[in-house]
Amino acid sequence: MSKDDSLGESLRKQGISRRAFMKFCAATASVLALPPGMATVMAAALSRARRPSVIYLSYQECTGCGESLTRSFSPTLESLIFNAMSLDYYETLQAAAGTAAEAARKTAMKENWGKYLLVVDGAVPVGNDGVYCTIAGESAVDILTEAAKGAAAVVSVGTCAAFGGIPHANPNPTGAVAVSQIVRDKPVVNVSGCPPVPEVITGVLAHYLTFGSIPELDHLGRPKVFFGETIHDRCYRRPFYDQGKFAKTFDDEGARNGWCLYELGCKGPVTYNACATVKWNQGTSYPIESGHGCLGCSEPDFWDKGSFYQALSTGTWSGATVLGVAAVAGAAIGVGAAVVSRRRQAHLDNEKQPKEKQP
Amino acid sequence: MNLLDFARGPALEWSFAIFLFGVLWRLLGILLLRRVHDYSEPRAHRAALGALQAIVRRTWPRKEFRARTTYGLAISYVFHVGLAIVVFGFVPHILLIRSLLGVSWPGLPGAVIYFSAVVTLAALVMALIRRLTHPVLKLLSNFDDYFSWAVTIAPLVTGLLAVAHYGGRYENLLAVHILSVELLFIWFPFGKLMHAVLFVLARGQTGVVYGRRGAST
Amino acid sequence: MSSDIDTLHPLDIEGTRLTVKKPALRYDRQGDMSDDRRVEAAMRAFVREFGATSAAYLESCIHCGMCAEACHYYVQTNDPRYTPVRKLEPFKQAYKRESGPFAFFYRMFNLKPRVTVDELQQWQELIYDSCTMCGRCTLICPMGIDIAHLVGQARHGMFQAGLVPHELWAVAERAEREGSPLGATPKVFKDRIDWLSDEHGVEISVDREVADVLVSMSSVEIMKYPLAIVATARVLNALGEKWTIRLDGYEATNFGMLSGNAQWQKDLSMKIINAAIKCKAKLLLLPECGHAYGAMRWDGANMYGKPLPFEVLHVSEYLARNLGNGRLKVKNLPKSVTFHDPCQIARRGGATQAPRQVLGKLGVELREMSPSGDVNWCCGGGGGVVTIHRADDLRYKVFQIKMKQVDESGAEMLVMSCSNCRLTFDDGQAHFKWDKTAHSLLELVADNLVQ
Ligand code: HEM
Ligand code: SF4
Ligand code: SF4
Ligand code: SF4
Ligand code: SF4
Repeated sequence: MSKDDSLGESLRKQGISRRAFMKFCAATASVLALPPGMATVMAAALSRARRPSVIYLSYQECTGCGESLTRSFSPTLESLIFNAMSLDYYETLQAAAGTAAEAARKTAMKENWGKYLLVVDGAVPVGNDGVYCTIAGESAVDILTEAAKGAAAVVSVGTCAAFGGIPHANPNPTGAVAVSQIVRDKPVVNVSGCPPVPEVITGVLAHYLTFGSIPELDHLGRPKVFFGETIHDRCYRRPFYDQGKFAKTFDDEGARNGWCLYELGCKGPVTYNACATVKWNQGTSYPIESGHGCLGCSEPDFWDKGSFYQALSTGTWSGATVLGVAAVAGAAIGVGAAVVSRRRQAHLDNEKQPKEKQP
Repeated sequence: MNLLDFARGPALEWSFAIFLFGVLWRLLGILLLRRVHDYSEPRAHRAALGALQAIVRRTWPRKEFRARTTYGLAISYVFHVGLAIVVFGFVPHILLIRSLLGVSWPGLPGAVIYFSAVVTLAALVMALIRRLTHPVLKLLSNFDDYFSWAVTIAPLVTGLLAVAHYGGRYENLLAVHILSVELLFIWFPFGKLMHAVLFVLARGQTGVVYGRRGAST
Repeated sequence: MSSDIDTLHPLDIEGTRLTVKKPALRYDRQGDMSDDRRVEAAMRAFVREFGATSAAYLESCIHCGMCAEACHYYVQTNDPRYTPVRKLEPFKQAYKRESGPFAFFYRMFNLKPRVTVDELQQWQELIYDSCTMCGRCTLICPMGIDIAHLVGQARHGMFQAGLVPHELWAVAERAEREGSPLGATPKVFKDRIDWLSDEHGVEISVDREVADVLVSMSSVEIMKYPLAIVATARVLNALGEKWTIRLDGYEATNFGMLSGNAQWQKDLSMKIINAAIKCKAKLLLLPECGHAYGAMRWDGANMYGKPLPFEVLHVSEYLARNLGNGRLKVKNLPKSVTFHDPCQIARRGGATQAPRQVLGKLGVELREMSPSGDVNWCCGGGGGVVTIHRADDLRYKVFQIKMKQVDESGAEMLVMSCSNCRLTFDDGQAHFKWDKTAHSLLELVADNLVQ
């Protein structure tokens, strides 16, 4: 397939019917919460769109995000949208290796300077001049900085790229940071999640292709359409939460009855993600439906917020030391205050009272 | 660290530390002052019983006093019971208590909690209005009274806002709610809220004296 | 009997109530201390009072205002100044600054300003004129704060500052000097006994070396209701008790306590205690006087510093005991009676049932006031208030509660077991030209004895 084909042509060449394409557009429009009429607009726009160049960089990551994205085979929506783009560099999938791979990246960057979409997964280590992640002798931070210069927009896929994720977790030995910490002068879309829901990734890309712009973002740079509500807001177990019915262990009566997992540490109430609405594995289910509470994976520092199995309302502190010290100090000062008062009294008792004079 | 992490982490730890620190300071500062022995011959050896009776019985007024106190007491009963329901009946609160003390009990449905909170809120507002208008209360009240009122109503207001998702993102509302509770904990030992502990002492003492005298506690 | 005090503060023996004559010029500040010295003296005395008990009380007030609803001064005037706990303000202020757990901060940041002499002087009226230490507020307080007890402690500081109401100071001083606040010196008392004994043909034993029962009297009785002496003698003689009155220890009132002088309180109590020990008494009989009961029954041993080697009974308790065990017999009295409970004996003394048992034996129809017993309304004359001329208007105001209660009971006869209450009732009766006369429970029994 040629890079210069329009998306519509490219799809036709692959034998994908107009019907299947419309279905994809409708589904994507609905995921993006667009009005139904927008599906046609999107189809028209996508048919006309030239396949944009995409450069996909991976740093401190586990490939979970890539797994999520490519989980299933053609003709899923994911593979479809990827065929619709010119993925010019992606270490995990590309055939080229070594200097050839790097050359491909450089060429793609040069040819599409100012127009390509930069997708990043993984955090970027900046500790010790970035030595903790290098590719072909160049540090991640340097590659990213350079690649970002020519990008039209950057998509940080996964919590590591979006917020630093697990590499950033305490004590963060490599000085890992989020992509947005490095790329300051380009629009950055954070598609967080560990990993993110695949439809969320494709949805963002489809939005970019359709409208030529990035979707509206929340204060953490996440697209509002997917990250506008908490898991808890849309959780099917919510009625049990409201009724005060909670599973106490993973195999008790409550768990079997599908009661709320709050007590088991579910962080759904403070986690903004699309799991409860878009779901996973082509809409099959999401973690809470499988009986496990939300870990809060789409939120910054989710790894450092105490145990996944501690309820949200409990505190996250190290130990009883501070409390012990406080108690001892309070007791000491209390005793001291009483001793001072008693001393004053004893002192006054020993003094002679002034003799009363008659009026 | 965002606001919620701060509220759930260091702020919670420090507020409990200050709470413990202050309560011990104040209690020991009172209890270790000097005591005089009472040599009088008791009419009845009922000191302990008297103390217990006073501690329990002073919870409601004698019938002779009811005519003049019912309105004020009804308000205070409503908000105390309401506070108890909200504080000790809501599962997230119980879980916090369990994580601290290891004890827990069954919670109440959300609807009961929200209803109690609204009623409690109304009763607290009425208590404030009464304080601002009743000549005796106006004269007695000082900063402590108003501030303690404010830190008591604050968690209710912030809690209800969090439940209603009103006024900000949920995690921030939740953080503000937790912070307001922490403010209550921090203020508790230093102001009148300490009455929740001191009532045992004051009532008990009078109970001991009256019990020995064989007088009605 | 003719010291300075007598010329400056002559007694009014003839009026309806017994006190010093209304002074033309009031001396409500004693001594010639500077203002600073007064404040300092008050503070010293306050600070000496603050033990764990008063601290717990002063710390736990929640400013709920309920105590006002129990206090006759607030209820009758609706003036919030009379809110019981507010009467303690200078005392509380001193506590917070000087002795409380956070005293250091109160001083450092001046969170509670120093008490001033003006404040103390202003509070004199609240601590003395408008508190009978009746303890109704103690009973209503949801925190169980014993405000009446704290008022007693606050009076100690006021006394040291020389800020006691004129009359109360004068009678207290007289009691310390003469042994009686109201002119019932040993000589006067002895004359009265001789006269009463002649007049009523009753044997009154004085100054026995050894006796089982030592009888004490209130100077109000000696000077105003001397028949109480006769009645006591009749009862004790009827019982065949080996009893006596001792001229070295008979005055049961304790104006040292009421005015706030702890040393005088002790001096006065020790006179009786020593007399009782000297005659090897097994029982000290206290007269119909409320605060005398509190002073000896509950404070006596603490003045003595160890348990008293004899029993202490109020005369109503003594009557109840001996009517109950049948040693004493009375005629039936076919009348309806209402009983006024003296605060210090009932609410604060615990002897609420004794007079009711006595009235039961007399077979009267008891018509209780509402409320009565432990929750009774104070007559308004206790705590030394009845002596203070300045407080008269207020006292009459609160006395109206009592009149209403008595009238509503519909009883034919009004009985009580405290001569100080009786004095207050007599004075109120005269003031309001009221048709109800107060009677003594003891005299009622004595009048109806079956010999
Ligand atoms: C557990 C034992 C407690 C007892 C026996 C108790 C008792 C009382 C009483 C008798 C009052 C006066 C009511 C009135 O104004 O008529 C009062 C007032 C008050 N209580 Fe409590 N209480 C307790 C616990 C608490 C707790 C845990 C809190 C809050 C955290 C609290 C908050 C308040 C507040 C704010 C007021 C004053 C309201 C106002 O008049 O402005 N109490 N309490
Ligand atoms: S399982 Fe989690 S997200 Fe679902 S209702 Fe319970 S707390 Fe909320
Ligand atoms: S349910 Fe929570 S933890 Fe699980 S994938 Fe979704 S956002 Fe992440
Ligand atoms: S002791 Fe009696 S007079 Fe004094 S404040 Fe209390 S209720 Fe009022
Ligand atoms: S009733 Fe008790 S707690 Fe209430 S204001 Fe009076 S003294 Fe304070």
